[in-house]
Amino acid sequence: MTFDAIGIAGSALTVNRRWLDAIADNIANVNTVRRTDEAAFQARYLEVQAGEGTSGVYVASDVYGSAEGRLAYDPTNPLADEDGMVRLPDIDLAEQMSALIIAQRAYAANAAVVDRAKTSYEAALQIGR
Amino acid sequence: MFDSVTFRALNSALDGLAERQRAVANNIANVNTPGYRAQRVQFEDALAASVGRGDGAVEASTALSLEPTRQDGSNVNLDTETLSNIDTVLRYQFATTAMNGQFTSIRTAMRTS
Repeated sequence: MTFDAIGIAGSALTVNRRWLDAIADNIANVNTVRRTDEAAFQARYLEVQAGEGTSGVYVASDVYGSAEGRLAYDPTNPLADEDGMVRLPDIDLAEQMSALIIAQRAYAANAAVVDRAKTSYEAALQIGR
Repeated sequence: MFDSVTFRALNSALDGLAERQRAVANNIANVNTPGYRAQRVQFEDALAASVGRGDGAVEASTALSLEPTRQDGSNVNLDTETLSNIDTVLRYQFATTAMNGQFTSIRTAMRTS
């Protein structure tokens, strides 16, 4: 009955929390320096799918961004190669911040669904009292 | 009393509204899922027709919304779903109040007989 709605919204809360975690990780590592002979820090995205019928949403897999990143000239960095180049991640901070807002909005919307489903459930408990 | 049109209609309404609550929760859960089409539950028209015939029992039916999708591939309109959610909760409470009224009538009848 209506308590399915709580489970469905719960699945979305989990997905959106994982999305927020991935975005936070990307933003935290936006300036992570690596050597030029290593892969850059790769941004992580989530691939989500709708469940069968009305079973909410779930994370299908993690998708990783570019491993090439971008090269920058920083000769004083201890990780710099003989040309003074280091490898930085290819992460667009503006894109990550936009995603952060979308994930937060989705999380809040699903939390509201749980609250309303609880109201319906409580009304149902009153039948026949 | 459990055989009356009113009781069957209220029962169907509660089932239909619960079905709608599930569909709306699923839509809001998939607001950012690429390729997702919003689900719409219909039962009011069928219920009105059924009550007119003197029956009252209907099954809710689910259809997919044909609204255009956004760039991220989902066609869920969060504002519409939020309002639908609030509307469904209020209607559910209204229907449970009406259902309670039915049981109160029975209890009154049992007491006075």
